Amino acid sequence: MKKLVQANLAGKSKSRDYQLGDKVQEITMMMPMFIGFVLFSIYPIFWVLRWALFKYNGYSAPQYVGLANFVRAFTNDAAYWKSVGNTFTIAGIKMLVEIPLSLILAVLLNNKVKGSSFFRVIFFLPSVFSVAVVGLIFSIMFSSYNGIVNAVLQSLNLISKNIGWFSTKQNAMFVIILVSLWTTFGLNMIYFLTGLQNIPDSMYECASIDGATELQQFFHITIPLVAPVLQLVIMLSVLGTLRMTDLILVLTNGAPGGATEVVMTKIFKYFFSYGENSATEVQYGYASALSVITAVIMCIVTVIYLKLSKRMQEVT
Amino acid sequence: MKNPGRIVGKIVIYFFLLIITVFALFPVIYILLSSFKSTQEILVGGTRIIPTEWRLDNYVKAWNLAKFGRLTVNSIYYSFFVVLGCIVTSITAGYIFSRGKTRFSKVVYRMVLASMFVSLGTLALYPQLNIAKIFGLSGTLWGPIIIRVFGMNATQVFIATGNINQLPIELDEAAKIDGCSFFRIFWQIIFPLCKPLIATVGLIAFRTAWSDYLLPYVFTISARNKWPLVVGVVNLKSTGEAVSQWNLMLAGISISILPMLVIYLLLNRYFISGLTEGAVKG
Repeated sequence: MKKLVQANLAGKSKSRDYQLGDKVQEITMMMPMFIGFVLFSIYPIFWVLRWALFKYNGYSAPQYVGLANFVRAFTNDAAYWKSVGNTFTIAGIKMLVEIPLSLILAVLLNNKVKGSSFFRVIFFLPSVFSVAVVGLIFSIMFSSYNGIVNAVLQSLNLISKNIGWFSTKQNAMFVIILVSLWTTFGLNMIYFLTGLQNIPDSMYECASIDGATELQQFFHITIPLVAPVLQLVIMLSVLGTLRMTDLILVLTNGAPGGATEVVMTKIFKYFFSYGENSATEVQYGYASALSVITAVIMCIVTVIYLKLSKRMQEVT
Repeated sequence: MKNPGRIVGKIVIYFFLLIITVFALFPVIYILLSSFKSTQEILVGGTRIIPTEWRLDNYVKAWNLAKFGRLTVNSIYYSFFVVLGCIVTSITAGYIFSRGKTRFSKVVYRMVLASMFVSLGTLALYPQLNIAKIFGLSGTLWGPIIIRVFGMNATQVFIATGNINQLPIELDEAAKIDGCSFFRIFWQIIFPLCKPLIATVGLIAFRTAWSDYLLPYVFTISARNKWPLVVGVVNLKSTGEAVSQWNLMLAGISISILPMLVIYLLLNRYFISGLTEGAVKG
């Protein structure tokens, strides 16, 4: 860096050299981050693309198998596709609950209810904790023998015997969706609030002079004007849920018997043996192939979503 | 003005907000309070939230037996370097993306933007670990530190870019006339003006590092004495007799969430604006 500064100082008199010096400085300053980005974000993509064509478990010599890994994934791996299904189920149901909830909360807090900033701080609180630790907290609360949830439900006489929250797929999925809702509803509420604050008060004033009820105002002013934020939130929410890993590993780790495995945890277990009694054998080649397929699925989802939302904009 | 319908509406609204408040707060309060219960009381369960007898046993045990002291030190060490490094790299990148004129920076900007949508996420961990092995960084926390600092976190970089975009360009021009180079403008003029930005980026980086689980986990699986808090706490669950370790788990969870809770309650303004700005501007 020193050398560059000196070179730059030397060329100060001529404006042409000076600009060149600036350019060199700019590129030099960018370099460490660029190298980091190439090594940790770009290189893994190529690594995965290459090893997807090999059979490789880390011990025996890697063996080139062409597209065999992909054939196996598409024809002979129901468990993987089940995990893809689970991922989309969680993302879909979560979105249907979370988006209206966050939007309603944002509208309520935007209307200057008393204590609005207090509620804002409280609702955002869950978003600051480690997702892994959150998974742990809820696995304690939903524990079937001495968990607080079962105890409360029993004392209210809502259930007669303890529910095994992690012993049926349906229950476990419910807990997963609830917990992931807990971690993000506040964040999405804040996104909506930012969008709502950009709507001028005068619009609501005009509408109420014209005799529009609050409900009409909500559907005809609020919703259309927060639409861009809404699109962004849906996008981030779905992509976030599709990438969910830590929460599932800690909360259910696939329980019962791999039924709640999501796509990321499924592949993660082919890369690393996770937990004390991991049932999945490490297979780097096959894991890479599944990574490629998953990345493509996510790209398709993104593109479809962007296309649809564009069409929606044209219609309205 | 005050009709009964309005009042009922208000009550319904506050009742709804109250339910959500309980939903948001209960798990945190429950865990913090339970960590003071006796082992006996924890194992029995029940609906009682406040401990019958306040004890510090769990913390003492966690600190001595489960080596939570060591884990806490590791977490502080990890977070310290990630925060420091991220502040420097994110704000430098933000300055270049905002003021840079070379085609190189523009291409890098596009690539970082694209990486928000097309990324392997956790699936990149194994190749990343492989690279770190080449540089002899596996089994230490330096692998995760370098990945967090130089891996270009899109959120942090875009917050920085957005903030620096708002600084008047006249500042740069005046300095340029006085003979300042691209680097000197950054170091002596822009960076010192970025104090609120430093706070925001620092907080986001702290949250990421303090909460990090899988990244440090895969790097330090076999090096127990390098584990950060979260890895250590979660490990208590996955090792066999989980229920008998609930007391340690509760104390461990509390140790790991308390610093975050305190910092959030003190500085929530920076937190909230930081985490949202990045996404909206990106």
